[in-house]
Amino acid sequence: MKKIIFMAFTALLFAACNSDDDNVQSEYIPAAFAKGIFITNEGPFNNGSGNITYISEDYSTVAQNIYRNVNGTELGNIVQSMGFNDDNAYIVVSNSQKIVIANRYTFQSVDSIKTDLNNPRYFVSIGGNKGYVSNWGDPNDNADDYLAVVDLRTNTVSSTIPVAFGPERMVTYNNKIYVAHQGAYGQNNLISVISGTSVENTITVGDVPNSMVVSGSTLYVLCGGNPSYTGTETAGSLVKIDLSIGQVTQTYSLGTTQHPSSLTMDGTNLFYNLDGKVYKVNTASISLPGTDIISGNFYTLQAKDGKLYAADAKDFASKGSLVIYDLSTNQQIQDYQTGIVPGGIYFNE
Amino acid sequence: MKQNWLHIVFIFFLCTASAYAQLDSIQHLPEVMLTDSKLVHFSKGFKLEKLSDSLVKRNATSLTETLRYNTSIYFKENGFGMVSSPSFRGTNAAQTAVVWNGININSVFTGQTDFNTISPLNYNEISIRSGGGGVQYGSGAVGGSIHLNNTYSFKKIDTTEVGLRYGSFSTVGGNASTTQTWGDHYLNIGVDFISSENDYDYVGKEQRNNHGQFVRFAAKVNEARKLKRGVATWNSEYTYNDRNFSGSLNTKGKDAYKDITTRNLWQLQQKVGVFNTKGSVAHLFEQYNYFPESENPFNTGGKANTFIGAFQSEVLLQKKIRINGKLEYTYVKAEGDNVGDNSRKTLAAVLLMNYKLSEKFNYGINFRQEFLNDFDNPFLFSADAKYSVSKNYALRINGSKNYRVPTFNDLYWYAGGNIDLKPETSYQVELGQEVSVGKLKVDVAAYYISSEDLIKWIPGNGGLWQPVNISKTRNYGIEAVLGYFLKLNNKQSLDFNANYSYTKAEDLEKEKQLIYVPFHKTSSTIEYNFKHFSFYIQGLFNGEAYTATDNSESVASYTIFNLGAQYTLPFNPNITFGGRLKNVFNVYYENVAYRPMPSRSIQIFLNFNI
Repeated sequence: MKKIIFMAFTALLFAACNSDDDNVQSEYIPAAFAKGIFITNEGPFNNGSGNITYISEDYSTVAQNIYRNVNGTELGNIVQSMGFNDDNAYIVVSNSQKIVIANRYTFQSVDSIKTDLNNPRYFVSIGGNKGYVSNWGDPNDNADDYLAVVDLRTNTVSSTIPVAFGPERMVTYNNKIYVAHQGAYGQNNLISVISGTSVENTITVGDVPNSMVVSGSTLYVLCGGNPSYTGTETAGSLVKIDLSIGQVTQTYSLGTTQHPSSLTMDGTNLFYNLDGKVYKVNTASISLPGTDIISGNFYTLQAKDGKLYAADAKDFASKGSLVIYDLSTNQQIQDYQTGIVPGGIYFNE
Repeated sequence: MKQNWLHIVFIFFLCTASAYAQLDSIQHLPEVMLTDSKLVHFSKGFKLEKLSDSLVKRNATSLTETLRYNTSIYFKENGFGMVSSPSFRGTNAAQTAVVWNGININSVFTGQTDFNTISPLNYNEISIRSGGGGVQYGSGAVGGSIHLNNTYSFKKIDTTEVGLRYGSFSTVGGNASTTQTWGDHYLNIGVDFISSENDYDYVGKEQRNNHGQFVRFAAKVNEARKLKRGVATWNSEYTYNDRNFSGSLNTKGKDAYKDITTRNLWQLQQKVGVFNTKGSVAHLFEQYNYFPESENPFNTGGKANTFIGAFQSEVLLQKKIRINGKLEYTYVKAEGDNVGDNSRKTLAAVLLMNYKLSEKFNYGINFRQEFLNDFDNPFLFSADAKYSVSKNYALRINGSKNYRVPTFNDLYWYAGGNIDLKPETSYQVELGQEVSVGKLKVDVAAYYISSEDLIKWIPGNGGLWQPVNISKTRNYGIEAVLGYFLKLNNKQSLDFNANYSYTKAEDLEKEKQLIYVPFHKTSSTIEYNFKHFSFYIQGLFNGEAYTATDNSESVASYTIFNLGAQYTLPFNPNITFGGRLKNVFNVYYENVAYRPMPSRSIQIFLNFNI
């Protein structure tokens, strides 16, 4: 009998031994993060932390989880996006309700903004000492959405600007901020034009404006259209706005059941994602959908200097990848593992 | 370390042996009758464990606690007292059926039961049936089923119990119940509640669980009346839960959840000739409201009514062959902010047969066919056998086909619900060995489950998540239960119980372990009794569990210990008082990644048995 009890205990001990299995490897930290690609990884949705992957411009260095490896602390839950100003990177951590500020070259922590943000989404800076953060507020309240204006000298929110429901991505042009109202968990169809601390104008575009690029004085807005489950499905579209007059000059529509996303631009070509394919459209003679050049379901796209950077979030519950294509051949040239749910691609210069 | 589990398994096989974990005090009561007799008569070749009253009382906070420390079921708990879902043999939460007096009570919306919303004190028998029970218990009984039963008896009973509990984190609880019999009547009524600030500190993190308050209230009425040739019974219960949901290490808790359930079951048993017949009618009601901001009245919710009418007839031929036929009609009507207004009708025909070939050999064959559903209704079957090789050693084997129907959320959720889903199906086999030598009982079971068409929500075009019948899994593993009782002398005794499980649950497409299924789990209790005093140590080892589907991230393993002691004043009415120190070594541990579990805490209780 004693033997059996002994053995049962032995079993317990053996099992307990497994807990020592942590094979923590010290991860490689590059000396500097200049010239390269940052990928913001949202991280697992409910329980966990997002992080940032760095890939050097010459592809010789790949580093995961760089913020934690430099600073010893995690970024937080849902690393939504990042923006830059001077030497700083502003990392928007939406579910943790904060912006983490780090030096963009060393990734050493500089500061953070934790107050006056409510479901922050994106950050842009303007004029050197002012930043704008789009905020959903309570996602169930369509009337409390706002932009937080950040004084970048003190890293505090100096004022807030109430805006229409669902502000998301922003671009700057000529000292103005153009905010796409994608519509949070719902749908909206506006671009707000912000000047200083007020809404100067709103421009109606197609439903669900989800991505934008500025080229010269032209703003291209890609609108996903209302999805079918809304019961009022609308076609995706590409809207061209002349920023010098603040008006829509042309709208190109897709089919009613086509819902594009992730507009990006390189040279005179626009690229976007639609139904598992990447399409290319020349701005000189726009006709949708354009030519499909690459197959793949990507969570986000960025084109730059003849290359297309495409983030694959896979099942959203495991490590994703960044695939790089040569746009002259449309062939894949690199494939790197990222963190969980790679949602943003940025270039550090 | 990889070989370790092999060692363990090997050792367990060598010292082969079932501990129906503890001897049940209920068993000593005379002529106790179950409202769900299928559980006993048609599960011979299945592993059936019964939790004793004392075990339940010791872990009375929630059904999660009760089962976590005493079975091999793994619980994924979103912080203490928050949503808690089981994984039984590596299957998911919707593949574990919770059966109340014979009725499957998994939620119409989620297909699962939140084990923290159930008061373990509402039942006088909690049993765990491992393995497929789809034929008997319908959808979701894949990994196993948890049976919450209210028994009755017509012997003279007059007992009243009152319990008070108090503990760390401003936790207050109380229960009162009375059981009376007179003439042909049996009546049991009771209430219990627990309320907690639940503001435990995250060990070593300088953070607190600031938004995890919970309240649970439960009430029950169980009545039985002896008739001329039968019995009429009524079981009824009500539960109310109001919880703020905890945040995580890096997010603030903001949301809250309230739910109400009522369950009523009326049964009439009559002996007609050689037939034991039973007609039953049941009504289940569930309602939930989810508050994205706990301070804000805005919420989304749903409610469902389930009506069940069943008729069954059982006959025992030549004292050897027991045959039970059953027809069950279920009508579910549900409405919710996200699922619209929908209903489902199901007619199930069940045929159960058990043949006692000899004192030593017993086998059973069971079938179920459903009708009326919109989707393809699989034909379910199971077969089981038990062979007592000797007085000390028995073998059991069973195999079954089981299924899980899509839930209302899967079918109708706005947006994403997919009405083209079909049921998940799974096949399984199990081989078990039971050894009983004196006061030593060992049970070792090995199982294999193959599931397909598993419903999984995946992102589609345009970022819309939709459920599809996509994944295939293969689970296999070993469970060992050991129980040993050692009488030291007339006054002193030792009682040892342990559970170990090795679980391999693999996504066949990715060839990776499923998330939140630890390979190893061990729990054990050593209890020392000295006359009216008892002292125990409870230990739990929960192995590392992956949290990412490519197994690139995981939540660390943990080992925690609890100590408890109690003393019963040997007078009438008797009074028992005692306490429990939980997480003795103040270990930081997470059950779900980034969601810390409580620091060291203490609970004391006082029970009056009148």
